[in-house]
Amino acid sequence: MTQPTDLLRSDASAEELARSPSGLRRLEDRTKIFFILPAALWILAFTVFPLLYALYTSLFSFRFGKINQFVGLQNFGRLFTDANLHSDLRITLIFVASTVAAEMLLGFALALLLNQEMQGKNVLRAIMTLPLFATPVAVGYLGITIYFETNGPINAVLKALGGSGIPWLSHPVWALVAIIITDIWQWTPFVFLVSLAGLQSLPQDLYEAAEVDGASGWQLFRYITLPLMAPILWLILLLRLVEAFKVFDIPTSLTLGGPGRATEVYSLFTYRTALRFFDHGYAAAQGFLLLFIVMLIVSLLFGRIRELYQEEI
Amino acid sequence: MHQRSLASKILVGGIIVVVLLWVLFPFYWAFLNSIKKPAETFQGSWIPFLQFQPTLEHWRNELAIPEIRRALLNSTIISIGAASLATVLGTLAAYALARFHFYRPQNGTLTTWFLSQRVLPPVVVVIPFFLLMRQLHLLDSVWALVLLNATFTLPFPVIILTQMIRELPLELEEAAWVDGASRFQSFVQIVLPLVLPGLVATWIIAMAFSWNEFLFALSLTNKNAIPMPVIIAGAEHTRGVQFWFVGVRVMLTMLPPLILALLSQRYIIRGLTLGAVKG
Repeated sequence: MTQPTDLLRSDASAEELARSPSGLRRLEDRTKIFFILPAALWILAFTVFPLLYALYTSLFSFRFGKINQFVGLQNFGRLFTDANLHSDLRITLIFVASTVAAEMLLGFALALLLNQEMQGKNVLRAIMTLPLFATPVAVGYLGITIYFETNGPINAVLKALGGSGIPWLSHPVWALVAIIITDIWQWTPFVFLVSLAGLQSLPQDLYEAAEVDGASGWQLFRYITLPLMAPILWLILLLRLVEAFKVFDIPTSLTLGGPGRATEVYSLFTYRTALRFFDHGYAAAQGFLLLFIVMLIVSLLFGRIRELYQEEI
Repeated sequence: MHQRSLASKILVGGIIVVVLLWVLFPFYWAFLNSIKKPAETFQGSWIPFLQFQPTLEHWRNELAIPEIRRALLNSTIISIGAASLATVLGTLAAYALARFHFYRPQNGTLTTWFLSQRVLPPVVVVIPFFLLMRQLHLLDSVWALVLLNATFTLPFPVIILTQMIRELPLELEEAAWVDGASRFQSFVQIVLPLVLPGLVATWIIAMAFSWNEFLFALSLTNKNAIPMPVIIAGAEHTRGVQFWFVGVRVMLTMLPPLILALLSQRYIIRGLTLGAVKG
């Protein structure tokens, strides 16, 4: 076998290659495969193969973590009748809808407000990246002390203001609210930073021309900013929706899905099915339902944002 | 931009203050509790030295625990290993996507193929990975997590470096080819040095993401390979809520990725939007 590097270190000189275009072409083909193949094989081995393996797994029932018997599509059938799955899916949908809506609105509004010349902008941007990189599990774990009912800081402030403490982590509704607030804390800065980058790339002359024509602030926003920002906003929406559906870390560390199952999000349910109850086949089927939901969102939204990628791809 | 009135300046200033308080409070709270004596964590004191005497006792105690040291070491191995692997694979692929035309499949399809890693819900592949790693006897091994995190951070170097390499003029490389350099030589000697800032930044971003990863770490480790996110996840259930320990452990877990994020500032938006928006 030839070494990969031999393929690249051609013995032929540049002139010789130039004289035989087909030889050059063959060399180019081998070279580009050398560059792309490692990563392509890697993805094949670590995502495509596991996905196929999951598909295979989903066709079997398991006992004590070992394959028991072939059950066909029975695991997928269970998806339609499992009341626990349905209630967890509902919780996940509430979580996704409320966090993504709040993050989009707050983040974009903040970007509009702060899209101006000011001192310390870079410092502000640096500070805003911190929540994005704060380990989500650690954020959830820290949340236990922040939402702490008897003497956590939030309830201490509420009591000082004359109110009463909120049963953050022991009440089913408040626990979900706590998780939603935590996610909003972590991800609003993402919407803000990307929106701000988008706003700053908008052509200024358009605004100047419109102002000369006497357009009002609202008209500038409605007829210039919003249409120009639309592709970026759709992209942010897509990325946030996909990420929100995958949520696992914060509910697991903050509430462990409790009280009861009030904050058991989809991924946590699947995790428990697979690694607490060792029902691997059913867990795989659940995974595919989540993948289907995420792919549906991607395909619905991707058409709208293709223009953003067009020049790149 | 037109002149803004004093009122709107005050409004904007006020909003910035509120936002900064909101964003920074949890970090300060963690830090504060990590340096308070247990009895003081229940009092509403906010300023060290003035209101209470800070102590490093909890930091010393926690850092003396073998499991914590082990977890810090594991997290370091996992994040450096995974990020390095992803960067090598991703940079090679980025060069191919930037400099060559592919026909079957085309460049666009290949790029989407690499990006799709960030769309795939990890919980879908957690079961096959668990079964596979059990077969390979890699359960509770940091190497399993190196492999997986490399896979899931691969999109960062691919997308960012494809853009950077495409922006480099081809003439630089052509001059080297005329002098007899191969593609690989021009890639190593000309392209790599020029994209070095982006290379380092994506390496850092991949490291931070690998450090923070939780689902795979929780599923595939149980003793020796446990990294920081897993060790803190279940801590309060065995120990009760002790604010000072929470503070130290949260700081120990968060500080490395936070520092890394500040170092790779310029490329974060590109990375997080999969290259669609350049911050």
